[in-house]
Formats: sequence, structure tokens, C-alpha cells
Amino acid sequence: MIKKSYIISLVVIISFLGISATWVITKANASIQEIPAVIKKVPDFEMVSHLGKSFNQDSLINKISILDFIFTSCPGPCPTMSSNMRTLYRQYKLHPDLQFISVSVDPEYDTQEVLKAYADANGVNDNRWKFLRADMESVKKLSTDGFMFMSESLPAGHSVKFVLIDQNGDVRQYYNGTDAGSIAILRTHINSILKNIKPKV
Amino acid sequence: MKRYFQFSVLSMVFTYLLIFVGGLVRVSGAGMGCPDWPKCFGRWIPPTSLSQLPDYIDPEKFNLVLAWVEYLNRLFGALVGLIILITFVLGYLHFKSSKKVLFSISGAFFLTLLEGWVGAKLVDTVLDPITITIHLLLALIIIGLIIYSSIQAYFAIVGNFEKDSKYHPHAKNVILGILFCLFIEIIIGTEIRGGLDMSRKDNPLIEGIILLKMLGPFKYIHTILGFSLLGLTLYLRKIIYDNKFKSSTFMVNSVNFIMVLIFTQILLGEALVFFEVKPLMQLFHMWFSSLLIGLSVSTYTYWRISLEP
Repeated sequence: MIKKSYIISLVVIISFLGISATWVITKANASIQEIPAVIKKVPDFEMVSHLGKSFNQDSLINKISILDFIFTSCPGPCPTMSSNMRTLYRQYKLHPDLQFISVSVDPEYDTQEVLKAYADANGVNDNRWKFLRADMESVKKLSTDGFMFMSESLPAGHSVKFVLIDQNGDVRQYYNGTDAGSIAILRTHINSILKNIKPKV
Repeated sequence: MKRYFQFSVLSMVFTYLLIFVGGLVRVSGAGMGCPDWPKCFGRWIPPTSLSQLPDYIDPEKFNLVLAWVEYLNRLFGALVGLIILITFVLGYLHFKSSKKVLFSISGAFFLTLLEGWVGAKLVDTVLDPITITIHLLLALIIIGLIIYSSIQAYFAIVGNFEKDSKYHPHAKNVILGILFCLFIEIIIGTEIRGGLDMSRKDNPLIEGIILLKMLGPFKYIHTILGFSLLGLTLYLRKIIYDNKFKSSTFMVNSVNFIMVLIFTQILLGEALVFFEVKPLMQLFHMWFSSLLIGLSVSTYTYWRISLEP
């Protein structure tokens, strides 16, 4: 009853849409999987975690790290940053290869005990999220030389960026730690690095 | 009047294409390809390199492919909006007497404006799942209104093409039942899709099929309702083919097309469950459901016109 030509044109249209869509999806997928090139190597540093353990540049090797600079008494962006970090920490609970690092920019106030309490308040119950402290000079040096952040007006003027560091200790990308859109992109980058170092989980 | 009909058909074709492109944006993950609206990275033509980004947008958000996919969707959306606007104006010029044509195309036009605004909200809310569902449902209502107005205009132009038809007394309720179930089915479908996205976030790197198993009873309701729709359609087909009544070729073709599509949808849906959730299949599963809405609205309109003198 229905003309053959109608059916044929319908099939042609659907094939055309399907092929174009496949092309777009493939392109988009490839572009999402693409992780940014190495920006620079994280220089040598030496800090102590909220559990009293030493943490240095070698602690970054063979792990994917997300690092930010915060201070526990911060009224401004830090709560949002820590809340976003906490969400990621929770979401990647099955991935011990991914570690979270928050460096205090107010070491005078943020003693090991204060950082420990802050970690507890953020629900940290394993060693995937570390809160680091060192003397102010070392913190400024890491912030400026290591990650090219401004550090004249620390603690208040710290960066709100999350830094993605790969398994070789190289900085790969910066993300706005207070912005949901940026965090979503960070998530896709984490996934694609994790897929690369481990074929399947 | 004929010009109006041509434009309303054009509106229909382009709206369907736009629904497809919108779905493509969704499955290719390009929804946030442009982090601002209506401009893309502060520009009317999306940037082609990082150096063109304005200071106030974080550079990590820039992905050339995703930005262009999203922006082409917006440009195409603007084009479709323009076509619907022209149709709306032509409707006012030529169909002042036909309230059915005029009201439906006016509704379609104003909902299209609203749809653009919801699209902007999607970017604001970083793809809030409920907003995504509203964005899709509005598109389906718009396409339904356009199709209704096209067929009513056709009726006004050529006269009652359904005057010889006589439909079974159950036809109306069965058609409305199909339409209702379709809408519920689509809402559940978007819930499944949204739930999948949420659990994927919480369980990165886990295969889609395992995530789907974690979703629970929703997907069973979706399947059961799918088969109920098939049952309703088979019944509709039976009463349409009933010798005691008389159906137009339009009606017969539409109902057969609905039946083929629902079969295809069930196969596609089950394929999505049993194989890996493939973006292309997801896209067609969504798009075919929009075709089903359009066809059901058509059958309703044919039935409605058969009552006219």
C-alpha cells in the first residue's frame, strides 16, 4: 500500500543520519578521551601529611593526583573546593591509583592536628586524600615554581584551581575547583588516564 | 494557504532534524561544549584555538569538537525557530478563520521560544537532568502541534479527505491511550538515561551494562509499558482493518508505521540492555519515540477530521 519509493527514501534518510551521527560521536569521543599534553614537571618538594607521614615528589609517581591549595579557616572558595574534592574522593573510592592532595597555605594555623580534624570532617577514611603542610617558604615555592600560581598574598589569595598530575609527576591540566562544568571535564580526563594505565576495572 | 501548508511541512521536517541533532549533542557529550549562552566562549563564531578564549572562561572547558557540535545545534535551532516563525505569520495571514490551525501553530511558536530559553537554562545548570527531560518533552509537544496544524491546514485546503471514513467507537480512546502511554514511556526513558548518567558518575569506568543492572525496577516498567503499547497498537490496527468500518489510507499507513516503529523500539531497547549501551542506538531510540508521538498525533487528527462535515 505504501509506495516502495517512500520506504526506500526513509531507509536512505535513516542511513544518512546514522552515518553522520556515528562520525560526530566518534570525533567527539576521541576529543573527550584526549588528555592535555604535559605542561611541566612538578619540582622537588618535601611536606608532611595530616597523618604525620612524609610526602614528596616521589609520592606522585605511579599515581594520578588531583592537587589543590586550601586553608582550613578559609571563609571564601575553599569550602566549595573541598566539597567538590570530597565528591570526587567519594566517587573514585574504588580507584586507589587516584590520590587527592590538599596543601595548606596557612601552616601556622593548620597544624597537623587541625588538618587531621579537617580530614575527618571531610569524611576521609583511607589514605587516598592527603592534607599536607610545610613551612610557608616551601609552600610558596611549590605554589609558584611548581604550579605557576601567584603567592604574594597567601593565605587568602590562593588559587582555586585543581591540578591534574599524571603518573610521571607531570602537570597535565588546571581546572576551576569551584565550577561544576570544569569538574565534569576533570572527571572525563581522570577516566581516560585511568583507562590508559589500567585497561579495565 | 498552500504556502502555509508547505511551510508547516518544512517546520515539521526541520523540527524532526533538530530533535535528532539535539539527541546527538546529548549522546556525544557535547552539551557543555559552549559554557555560555547564546554566545560560545564569548564569541558569535566559536573559537578555533585556545588563544581566542576570553579571560573570564576557564580554558580547560575548551574542546574544539564539542564546541562546534553544540554550536551547530544552536544555529540549527535558530534556523528552525525562524521557519516556525514564518509558518506562524503565514498562519495568521491565511487561517484567521480556522482556529484549530491558528491555535496550534501559535502554541508551537511560543513553545519554541520557551524551548530556546530552556536550552539556555541547560547550560546555566550544567545539564540538570530534569531540565534535559523538559527540553525533550517541549520538543515533542512542539512537533505534535506542528503536525496537528499541518493536517488541519491540509483539511482546510483540500476539503474533508476523511469524509468517507468511519472509525470504530474505541478508536479515539485507543489512540489517546497510545499517546498517553508514549509520553509516560518517554519520561521513564529519560529517567533511565539520567539514572545511568548519575550512576556512571558514581562508578566511573564500570561498563554501562552493569550500571543498567543497578538501576532497578525502572527499566522493567519501561519494558512492560513498551509491550503494552505494542498491544494497544495491534488492537488499533485490528479495529482500523475491521470490515464493518472504513479507514482512510492516511490512517492505515500511520497505524502500520506506528506498529513497525514500536517493534523496532522494543528491539532497540532490548539491544541497549543486552549489549553495551551504544550512543548511536540510544540516539535512534529517542528519535523514533519522537516519530511515534508525531504519528499518534496524526492518527488522532485523522480521527478528529472524520467527524467533521
